[in-house]
Amino acid sequence: MSTTKSIAWEKIVGASGVVTDKKILSGFSSDAGFTKGEQPRSLVRPRKPEEVQEIVRLAYQKGVALVPRSSTGPRFRGDSMPDVPESVIVDLSGMDEILRMDVRNKVAMIQPGVTFGVLQEACAKVGLRVPVPLLPRSTKSVMGSYLEREPHTIPKYHWDMSDPICCLEMVFGTGDLFRTGSAAGPGTLEQQWAAGQAQKTPMGPSQTDFMKIMQGSQGTMGIATWATIKLEVLPKAQKGFFVTAAHLEDLVDFTYSLQRAKLPDECLILNHVAFASIIAANVQERDKLVKALPEWILFYAVAGYDHFPLERIEYCTQDIAEIAKACHLQSVEQTAGISARKLLGLLSKPSEEPYWKIRHQGGCQDIFFLNTLDRAPSFVAAFKAECKQQTFPAGDCGVYIQPIQQGRNVHIEFDLMYNPQDALVVQRVKNLYQSASSSMSTLGGFFSRPYGLWSDLAYRKCPDTVQALNKVKNILDPGRIMNPGKLCFGKGA
Amino acid sequence: MTLQELKPDMEGCARCSHCKWVPHLQIKSWRYAKVCPSVDRYHFHSYSGGGKMNMGNSYLDGRSELNDTVAQVIYRCQLCGACQVSCQCYRDDIDLADVLLAIRSTCVEQGFVLPEHLEMIESMKREDNTMYMLKADRGRWSDGLDLIDINREKADVLFHAGCRYSYDEDLRDIVRSAATLMKSSGVRLGIAGKDEACCGGRAYEIGYQGEMKNYAEDMASRVKASGAHTLVTPCSDCYYTFKYLYPKNGLDLGVKVLHTTEYTDQLIKQGRLRPQVEIPLKVTYHDPCHLGRRGEIYKGGWEGDNKLARPSRLKQTGKLGIFDAPRDILKSIPGIELTEMERIREFSWCCGAGGGVLEAEPEFAIWTAKERLEEAAATGASVLVTACPWCERVFKDAVKESGSLLKILDVMELLSQSLNGGSHAAG
Amino acid sequence: MLPAKVYKELEDALGGAEYVTQEPALLDSYAWQPALNITHEAWIPRPEAVVVPRTTEEVQAIVRICSRNGLKVKAFSMGWAAWGGPGGPGVVQIDLRRMNRIIEIDEKNMYAVVEPYVCGSQLQSELIKRGLNCHIIGAGPNCAQLASVTSGWGYGWTGLMTGFSGRNPLGVEWVLPDGEVLRLGAPGSTERWFTGDGPGPSLRGIMRGWGGAQSGLGVFTKVAIKVYPWPGEPEVKRGKGTLLDLQAQVPPTHKVFFLFSPSYEKFADVAYKIGNAEIGYVHCKGAVGATFGIFAPRASEKILSNPALRAMIKAAQHCTLFMLACHTERELAFQEKVLRQIMDETDGFLMDASHLPFHGMFAWGTHRSIFPAVAAFRPGGDFLTSMGSNETYDCQVYAAKLSESMKREYIDDGTFIEDMADCTWGGIYEGTSNWGHLEQIGIFNRRESHKAEGRYAFLDDTMKLTIAKSLGFGLSSLGAGYWKLYGPIMFNYHHWQSKIKQAFDPQNTADATFYIPPYDEVLKTEAEEKGKWDKMRSDAMTFRI
Repeated sequence: MSTTKSIAWEKIVGASGVVTDKKILSGFSSDAGFTKGEQPRSLVRPRKPEEVQEIVRLAYQKGVALVPRSSTGPRFRGDSMPDVPESVIVDLSGMDEILRMDVRNKVAMIQPGVTFGVLQEACAKVGLRVPVPLLPRSTKSVMGSYLEREPHTIPKYHWDMSDPICCLEMVFGTGDLFRTGSAAGPGTLEQQWAAGQAQKTPMGPSQTDFMKIMQGSQGTMGIATWATIKLEVLPKAQKGFFVTAAHLEDLVDFTYSLQRAKLPDECLILNHVAFASIIAANVQERDKLVKALPEWILFYAVAGYDHFPLERIEYCTQDIAEIAKACHLQSVEQTAGISARKLLGLLSKPSEEPYWKIRHQGGCQDIFFLNTLDRAPSFVAAFKAECKQQTFPAGDCGVYIQPIQQGRNVHIEFDLMYNPQDALVVQRVKNLYQSASSSMSTLGGFFSRPYGLWSDLAYRKCPDTVQALNKVKNILDPGRIMNPGKLCFGKGA
Repeated sequence: MTLQELKPDMEGCARCSHCKWVPHLQIKSWRYAKVCPSVDRYHFHSYSGGGKMNMGNSYLDGRSELNDTVAQVIYRCQLCGACQVSCQCYRDDIDLADVLLAIRSTCVEQGFVLPEHLEMIESMKREDNTMYMLKADRGRWSDGLDLIDINREKADVLFHAGCRYSYDEDLRDIVRSAATLMKSSGVRLGIAGKDEACCGGRAYEIGYQGEMKNYAEDMASRVKASGAHTLVTPCSDCYYTFKYLYPKNGLDLGVKVLHTTEYTDQLIKQGRLRPQVEIPLKVTYHDPCHLGRRGEIYKGGWEGDNKLARPSRLKQTGKLGIFDAPRDILKSIPGIELTEMERIREFSWCCGAGGGVLEAEPEFAIWTAKERLEEAAATGASVLVTACPWCERVFKDAVKESGSLLKILDVMELLSQSLNGGSHAAG
Repeated sequence: MLPAKVYKELEDALGGAEYVTQEPALLDSYAWQPALNITHEAWIPRPEAVVVPRTTEEVQAIVRICSRNGLKVKAFSMGWAAWGGPGGPGVVQIDLRRMNRIIEIDEKNMYAVVEPYVCGSQLQSELIKRGLNCHIIGAGPNCAQLASVTSGWGYGWTGLMTGFSGRNPLGVEWVLPDGEVLRLGAPGSTERWFTGDGPGPSLRGIMRGWGGAQSGLGVFTKVAIKVYPWPGEPEVKRGKGTLLDLQAQVPPTHKVFFLFSPSYEKFADVAYKIGNAEIGYVHCKGAVGATFGIFAPRASEKILSNPALRAMIKAAQHCTLFMLACHTERELAFQEKVLRQIMDETDGFLMDASHLPFHGMFAWGTHRSIFPAVAAFRPGGDFLTSMGSNETYDCQVYAAKLSESMKREYIDDGTFIEDMADCTWGGIYEGTSNWGHLEQIGIFNRRESHKAEGRYAFLDDTMKLTIAKSLGFGLSSLGAGYWKLYGPIMFNYHHWQSKIKQAFDPQNTADATFYIPPYDEVLKTEAEEKGKWDKMRSDAMTFRI
């Protein structure tokens, strides 16, 4: 690894685009999670794709490690924290333009710094919406989320794991610019637009799909400079419902049936802790609400679009009522005094501040992985047992189960909320994080986004995948300068 | 037609593989989706209908030669005709079954014949039957039935038992039942006894196309001499020969030709036979290929050189085969519950015996039959009913070999039992 | 002929002589590949041998034996079309027909795990019993489900509900060209198949893109495929008949409509509104040419030569075939009401085919995707296809319009059989996504070899048209070696793709005729053939209809 001292980043991004202040940079060597990183040498703020390309080219030439990040604000997973010394943070948050909004084709072309709040507002103005992950923090980048395959809350629009990203423009670790999907051409973007295209098809170009390689790569393959995002029609009317249960098992068949019939828009399951943490303004309110709530709350919303919106809501509601009856369940419009309308209102936006996961106790460590809904109760039971063993209070453990890929999989997430000032508690959470991650993996939890210690858990099970990923890495990032140390790529930059 | 004349058909093959499958709208399960025993048993594409066309084309293009290995592939095929049905769902310009016949004829011309088939031809030449039996014994199946001997007396209906029924003693009750119950309806039923000869169809199918002519002429003279207005046969192979191969080759018997199931079905519908005895059985029916799709009457030739211009009505789609008569007979029998297999009618799975396979490749014949037994058993039926001596032979052998609990019966056996508790069958 | 030692090795690996052949006539049954063969010939290079393995381990052994002995391998499932066979000499053809099991259908989680030789009809017939359905590509239900999702491409009638082949794989088992097995996603580290992406970057990205590698990067031996809801009864009641004469009943909550629009623009509007309204199960362009091909191929010549009749038929050209398949009567009533409103808004009209005598056959035939093959085969016996990228439906409609006028010339000169120049096939898929696909099909009689030149000229023109008008990377772009044309104007994708090939197939064992050669070879070829392809590219960029 060469030193970055000699590299004049200013020539690329201007003096104001380079940060070398150690005080500021020290903040990048740790985050709100348990992973500790190295202090970066500097931070650069490109404003244009060309600048990104120049930065990567130069870094490749000089062997400098780059760590891209597009969101700002608190971080938890360590993925954009340097693992090697002398790294340069490439801060893309300033590239925050919505480059194009195609209403007819329902697609937005955005830069990495565009946040959910900004995009949602722009969409709403033209009668569209972007599906949003569960209350992301307000500074969260849309591209940052979806390049990490963050699930969103409307499973019927989640056809494939890459959704809702359509096409990408990106710079590989060699400094080469590339466009994926239909954006690759033939023709310039302007020529494509003239032919009616909107960079909407994610596959390709031709017989490879480098967008899929970029996704989930934690910045280890290159830097994306824009993405097109699939949007949906903004409902003309919506109605939210809860179905509650004392046992998660009781909600499983019902949720499957809803997904099979594609009746709801938003659809997710929360335990009382996660639910209350989202709704409540403070910890007292949260704890009170937890007591009043049944343990499991399925939330779903039905919507009407441009044609006969209320009639659509009506038939969906009736069809769902029949399904609920067959499952011996009932949909209600409020639970423990909280209306479904309230939750629905929250779900299309980023979290209110402070961020819901840290609002009540100041800290949160989440553990999440993929599996199928029928197995979710067994993971929950095992996780509860782990909490008990590590004496972590059940009342501080949120559970969030999100059907994805139209119900074929679920994202199962445990949110361990804690007081980061209490060293004893911190140690307890650390222990739990390690032991529970391990036991979830042993049970078959699939850590598809292996951050931090999960990378060891995930990759030791699939040496063939590790070998294949390294072959790809050597092609796209032959200098191994892109976020070294992450995933299965060692710290060899 | 010669192979060369069929070259445009072969060149039309798109290699789509529809010939390997039940027509797709009728596929009802993973298990019973395939329709070609040959490619299913021997795997290589070459064994399928399309593959055999490709090989024929290769031979004509001078790209490959006929040899014993290739001939074996050609003859590992029951000529069941399922490939043609599936092909013609999509194609108007390919007569796949004709190509299969022409390839065999070419094999014979080039001297690539199977020893078992040679023996069969010898038996036909020497004793007028495919069964390696004595001609003198041919009429013994009818001993005691008191049927009209057409050599001495005129008859209204000539009953042609066929080689298998004439000699296979395991099946004797069936043919006797059929003749007896026909006679009981009051018809003047005649037989040729020891003078009955093979129809010649089997010779044609194994590639000795010229041999059939003599048998056909012989048959025609017997029919004429009998004075009969109708020829009835219980053998589906003979039926196919009379209905398709003879007219296709310009041979006309000059009388109406019916299968026993057609004839007796008419008698039932006319009220001349009344099945009354209840037979509480759940049965399933196997369509013999040569009575079903291959039993379709020859629709007339096409003189044009471009089959794309041929009227669709001249396509041998198999739809006019005999499918309903045997089923209607079964339905007329009190107590019988007829349940269908998945592969039936035009897209029925073959029993395995046809096309010279039973003689030359008995293991393949049994393999094919066992596949059908499994399908039949899957319906929950206890009896597999059919209407062809070749099917019955190979099914009975396969039952023995596999330990299947299915009983194999002919439609005529059940009808006979229902008519008077089986006294007809006793003769 | 293979060296005796190699042949013996293959026999031993497969457990018997009956699973290997190098008999020339048998090999020629593998060399007959007229479909989508863009050479002048129907014969393709004859394989050195054909093998029929039963297990993944046998596939691995074959690949290793071939690699060791300087042979290439090429695998296929159903084997329809030229890209399934060898692209040159020295190739061992792997016919996967013995790997034919449906290993698992996970009803709740809506996926099925299949081996290569499971066709669309087989999987669909088992799925419908469980209230599920699968995507069957337009080429038909005789195509392998595994090949469609891992290695090929294709749009199917039910794409509105069942997506696109390339987006439907979950877990995958893959024998790489070095003989190692790679399992993508969950099956790589668990016993289950529910996802194919991760951990970390998704290796689905090297498995395939918009198109598949056509076995140019190894052999896929198992795949979990996303399956989709089948609303209504778990059975299609069928009576007599085989295909077009089939008697069938469809569930009462299924209905077929023909939607007629006054112009291409309004026709596109209908599609957009249907997508936005989230209604429907089947959306497909109805083509008058295809209709004649299916139902009256002999009569069409006479009918279409009558100017008055021709004008009448032309008036029905902007037609959408649309099907509702709903879970409840309530849903059906709502969706039909929306549909009627959409037709009002777009100045069109609809015909409800649900009461016509052929409704059962037509609806079921659509679900099982039998019609394109009938339409392509009955008039002339053979077809080719072109254009057909996947992008917004507006782009596809624009491409259809352009290609229609281009094809007219080729019909007039006798290259193609008359189909009103209106035989674009495709529709929209993935519900609200607005992606569409319309490929331009040409129908001909291959026996008329003197017309071959015209066919290639047409393909050449459509390829140039897609470049000149930026119509997307489509079927016209998939010809063997076309990376030389497209790569340099598409971010040098061919370099990256060929680097993948080189890294994963160091011995160049997988026949990559329809994929891409290793990087070193690509560079060499580019240097040698630069002038030729530069000229073709420049011609294409300035191409005018």
